[in-house]
Amino acid sequence: MGSDIIIVIVVGTALAFDFTNGFHDTANVVATSISTGAARPQVAIAVASLLNFAGAFISISVAATVAKDVVDADVITPTIVFAGLIGAIAWNLVTWYFGLPSSSSHALIGGVVGSAVAAAGFHVIIAEGLVGKVLVPALVAPLLAFLVAGLSIGIAYRVIGHQRPGVVSRGYRYGQLLSGGLLALAHGTNDAQKTMGVITLALIANGNLGPEANPPTWVIICSAAAISLGTYSGGWRIIKTTGTRIIKMDAAQGFTAQGSGAAVILASTHFGFPLSTTHVINGGVMGAGAAKRLSAVRWGVAGNIVLAWVLTLPAAAAIGALTYGVTRLFGTGAVGPVVVTLAALALIAAAFVRRAQRGAPVPVTEGGGR
Amino acid sequence: MLPVLGALVEGKELVETVIAATLAGVGVTFAFAVAIWGYGRSLELGGEERRLAAGLAAAVGALALLVVVGSIVAGIVVMTHK
Repeated sequence: MGSDIIIVIVVGTALAFDFTNGFHDTANVVATSISTGAARPQVAIAVASLLNFAGAFISISVAATVAKDVVDADVITPTIVFAGLIGAIAWNLVTWYFGLPSSSSHALIGGVVGSAVAAAGFHVIIAEGLVGKVLVPALVAPLLAFLVAGLSIGIAYRVIGHQRPGVVSRGYRYGQLLSGGLLALAHGTNDAQKTMGVITLALIANGNLGPEANPPTWVIICSAAAISLGTYSGGWRIIKTTGTRIIKMDAAQGFTAQGSGAAVILASTHFGFPLSTTHVINGGVMGAGAAKRLSAVRWGVAGNIVLAWVLTLPAAAAIGALTYGVTRLFGTGAVGPVVVTLAALALIAAAFVRRAQRGAPVPVTEGGGR
Repeated sequence: MLPVLGALVEGKELVETVIAATLAGVGVTFAFAVAIWGYGRSLELGGEERRLAAGLAAAVGALALLVVVGSIVAGIVVMTHK
């Protein structure tokens, strides 16, 4: 009975993480389209939401690989997964509050690593996996996207240099509908699978599924729906940062950031060297801006974003470890996760009440203003 | 330091990713820029009554646009086959 309660809590928490992943990472998909006026904000977000939903059904091949390369899979229990998810959700909410686009995948990996270490010690970390699958890709993703976008926009400006601005601007805005759509589809494929993987992992650990089981249909549908709903909710704070605060973007730069970003993500997927969508698209935005003029990039904002990337793994790990420690105060049963869940829900409710008392936020308008 | 890092990182995948991403990213952006150039030039040349040249520019633009659409289809195929 106790383990069934924990599983229900883990599934609910995983879907909550999926929701935060959706609204946190919406910016990656829609920010450049909104800031250049290629699409109206609500339309861009609705389309991204639908494509995220569709993307979740495209492939489930990586669904079972979450965190298994960075921690010893034998020590994983539903409670460890739960604590890791809380770490990831908390860090997603913190970075969302400050409008910083950080990687939800890294937050999830950090959370699970932290809770696993708290449960079984540092020896559970697989150093090769952590360096090769997480740290090096985290360094490569923004640099590669920066270079590709910078090179691409330089070539594009040479080709279109003597064309009428109206034709160029209109053309790139239409192009952004294509590049943004592809990015949304890729995001749904990559990120919804992580939640499917976490839920499947917990179901396997609890004995509900066999060791080699694929995600059940209900898990796929629920994960797709959660990330899609999260995307539809729209993380306006991060959209504003990515779309307008790093650089003042023209339509060509917006298309280049998205197009280069999609190319980098898909190339990395094809060759089995997966990169973070967040790191890629923000690196692309910086590259598209810097190629035009170095001073066009607000390096202070870029520095804050990079700092958030650096802090994501240790911060989510620390919260995951702390959460695991708190749950263990109540023993090994379901009481700990129940108490932590109730406390988290109370905190979120208090934040919403406080925000409601301050007044509703002003929505982002077309062109990126707020 | 480098040999240690090399042992931890799957170097072949990394190099392939860097090369493919650069070629695909630059290629798609270049193709789309050519598509816009072709459309813009065809409008200009059409306005100057140079119909053959306008048609050629439009054809180059359309071909470039086909390359972009083909790249998007290839991207979707990559997603479905991973």
